[in-house]
Amino acid sequence: MPTFNDLDGKTLAPRVAIVAAGVVSPLGLGLNNSLSALKANRDCILPVTAFEVGQCRCKTAGQVPDEVLDQHLNGRKSRRLHRASKMMIAALDELRNQDPEFAPELTVIGTTSGGMSFGQDYYRALHRHRGLRHSPQWIANYPPQKPVIDAQETCGISAPCQIIANACASGTNAIGHAFECVRSGKYQRVLTGGYDAISELVFVGFDSLQASTSERCRPFDRDRSGMVLGEGAAVIALENLERAHARGAKIMAEIIGYGISTDNHHLTQPDPSGSGPRRAMEQALQSANLTARNVDYINAHGTATVFNDAAEGKAIRELFGKVPVSSTKSMIGHSLGAAGAIEAVVCLLALQAQLLPANLNFSNSDPNLDLEIVANESRPAKIDIVLSNSFGFGGTNASVLIQKYAA
Amino acid sequence: MNLRIAGMGWVTPLGRGIDSVWDRLLRGDHATAETISDSVSNKAYSGFRVPSETLKDLPPHPRLRRASAISRFAAAAGLDALTQARSTIGEIDMERMALIFAVSNGGVIYTKRFYHDVVESGAQAASPLLFPETVFNAPASHLAAILGIAGASYTIVGDGAVGVLAAKMAADVIENERLDGCLIVGAEEADWLLCDAYHKWRLLRKKPPIELFSDPPRGTILSEGAGAIFLGGKGDVQIEAIDAGGNFSQRAQAGKIAQQILHRLADHNACLIASANGTFVDLAERTAIEKELPEAIVYSPKAAIGESVGASALWQIIVAARALRTNRLPSTSGAREIACKKAIVISCGLNQQAAGLRLSI
Repeated sequence: MPTFNDLDGKTLAPRVAIVAAGVVSPLGLGLNNSLSALKANRDCILPVTAFEVGQCRCKTAGQVPDEVLDQHLNGRKSRRLHRASKMMIAALDELRNQDPEFAPELTVIGTTSGGMSFGQDYYRALHRHRGLRHSPQWIANYPPQKPVIDAQETCGISAPCQIIANACASGTNAIGHAFECVRSGKYQRVLTGGYDAISELVFVGFDSLQASTSERCRPFDRDRSGMVLGEGAAVIALENLERAHARGAKIMAEIIGYGISTDNHHLTQPDPSGSGPRRAMEQALQSANLTARNVDYINAHGTATVFNDAAEGKAIRELFGKVPVSSTKSMIGHSLGAAGAIEAVVCLLALQAQLLPANLNFSNSDPNLDLEIVANESRPAKIDIVLSNSFGFGGTNASVLIQKYAA
Repeated sequence: MNLRIAGMGWVTPLGRGIDSVWDRLLRGDHATAETISDSVSNKAYSGFRVPSETLKDLPPHPRLRRASAISRFAAAAGLDALTQARSTIGEIDMERMALIFAVSNGGVIYTKRFYHDVVESGAQAASPLLFPETVFNAPASHLAAILGIAGASYTIVGDGAVGVLAAKMAADVIENERLDGCLIVGAEEADWLLCDAYHKWRLLRKKPPIELFSDPPRGTILSEGAGAIFLGGKGDVQIEAIDAGGNFSQRAQAGKIAQQILHRLADHNACLIASANGTFVDLAERTAIEKELPEAIVYSPKAAIGESVGASALWQIIVAARALRTNRLPSTSGAREIACKKAIVISCGLNQQAAGLRLSI
C-alpha cells in the first residue's frame, strides 16, 4: 500500500494528517454520537419544523435541534447569532477540545448559503413593512464568512478565511484545497470543513426543481425519487504529518488525494456519461498515486435524484468495478456546503471503527447501476482507504481520498 | 512566486475596457449615479450602474441567455482578460488553467425575484428557472462553460477583500496543481435590496460624492461590474507578495489588521491603492498608512466608481497595474505623474476581512 504522495516521481511531498475533527449533524453532536448513530443505521429525516412546507412536494429534512446548538453559548450571544454560526461553533469547539494546540495558518471552509434565513427574515419584514428593528443584526450575520469568523473568535483562533461556495461540492473542495496547501509545503496547518443551515429559500428552490422527494431518500435504488435536504457543520484540522508527529499530536487519519473537475454540460444537471465525476475520482487517485483497486469503500455523493445517481453510479462502476458504496445522505439528508465535510468525518469514523456505513431505504437494485451498495445496515469491514465524493450545481465535482493511519 | 498579470478585463460604471476606463479615471471622470428604487418600499437610493450598451457585444452563448447581470459582467471581464492574455503569452491551454471567481453578495436580483414570488404567492410560485441562478457559483459555471474550463473552478465568497483572497487562492492553486495560469474574476451587481441593507447598516450615503478619508465618515455609494486578471508566467507586472491578512470582530480593530498587513508589505518605493470608500474603512486605512507608509502616494478608485464589494479588490489591482505601467495615477486635479516601481493594494472589507498584496514592474 502506498504511504507517500509522490508529486513528480522524485520528491516525496509532505504527508497530510488529520489531527482533530468536530461535527454536528442530524446524527448528533460530536464524533462519538455520530459513530453510534452510524452503527445504529439511524434514519434522521424528520418533518420540517423551521418553516412552512405545506405547498412543497417534500416535507422532510435532516435537522439539528436548536437545543443541541445552544448548549455551547450563553443566552445573549445565542440570540444574536445565526444557526449556522452556532453549528460552526459546536463543531470547532469539539475540534479544539481534541487538540487545543492546533493553530491554523489558514482556514478554508465550504458553504452554499451562509446565514440565508436572516436574509429571508429581512425580506419578509420589508415586504410586510414592519418588524425591521432587527434588520441590522440580520444583515450583519448574513454573510457566509460570518459563521466562520464567529467560530474562530469563540474558540480563540485567528486565521485568514477562504470561504468556498462551489454549491454542493463546497465542503469537499474546501478539504481538497486545504489538503493541497499542506501537501505543497507552503502551509503546516490548515483548518477546513463546511457548514450549511437549512433555509426556506433553498428548500423551496430544490422543491421547485422537483429534485426533492415526498418519499424516503433512496440513493441508488431503482425507484429513487429525489433528495431530502439536511444541515450541519464539520471541521477537520489538517497538519503536516511530520510536524504533527513531532509535537505528539494524535493522528486520526491521512488525506492522501484530491481531484476536482468542472462539468460544463448544464448548470444543474450532470453529463449523463458521468465524465465529470469520473475525472474528479481519477484525478484523486492520480494525486495519491493509487489505482482504483486500492480503494476499499466509497462514500458517494448519492443525492438519490435520478440523474445524479445515474451519472455517479456509471462513473463508479466504470472506474472501480465492485467496491462497497453507500450514500449517508439517506440517513441525514443533503447538507449542501456541509455535505462533503460531514461525509469526510463519516469516512474518518468508518476508518477508525472499521465499518461500512449504511445506505438506507435501499430495496431494489437499479439494473442500470451494477453497484455493491451497503444496503440498509452498516457492517464491519477491513478498510484502509476510502473515497468521498461531492458534486454540485454549476458542474463542480470533487473527490478526496482518506487513508487509515498506520504509525 | 512568479505570478505575472498577463491580461486584464474591466467592466465598470465608467464603461468597459482597461484603456477606456483608465483614461476616464485619469481625466477625473466620476460615474453618474442612478436612482435605484423597488416596489417593496418607497425609499430610493443612489447607485452606480454599468451602462447597458457596455455589454452589447458579448458573444451569443446559450449560457448567457437567461443569466443574471452579475454573470454577464463576469463573462465580459473574463473574456477581455483572456483575449489580452493571449496577446501576451500566445496560445492558452484551457486544460492547464483554473478559474477563481470572487463575489460578495452574488446574484441578488434573481434571488430577490425568486424569494419575492415565494413570499407573495407561496412555495408553488417558486421558479425553477430562477433558483439555479441564485447560487453563488452560477456566474463561475457560466464562465467556465463559455471558456471551456474543465479543471479547477472555485467560487470564493467574502467582503471587499475577497478579490485579494482570491489572488492568494490562485497563487496556491497554480502551485499546488502545477497549472500554467489562473483567471481571477470578481463581480457584483447593484440592487435596491443591497442598497437598503447597507443603508440600514449605516454604511451608505444618499447621493454622491463619496468623500474619502473624511472624519466622521459620510458613507459610500454601491456600484456594480467586474474585474478580471489572468495570472500566468508572463507579463510586465508581477505579484510579488500576497498577504491574506486577517479578520476583525469590531470595526475599531480594522485599523490594527490593516497596519499589520501594510507592515508586512511595506516598500518605500510603492504607491498605495486603498479601499477607502467613505465608511469606517477610511479611518482604519488612514491610521494604518500614517503609521506604516506616511510618505506614500495614496489613491482609492472608489470615489469615482463606487463600492463594488466583490469586484472592488480586482478593480484596485487593475488600477495598481495600470499605475505601474503608465507611471500615472488619477487625482482630484487630473492625472498625476508617479515614479513608483511597486504598488501596494490594501483591501479592508465591510464585513470583517482585510488583506493586501504588492505588485512590481
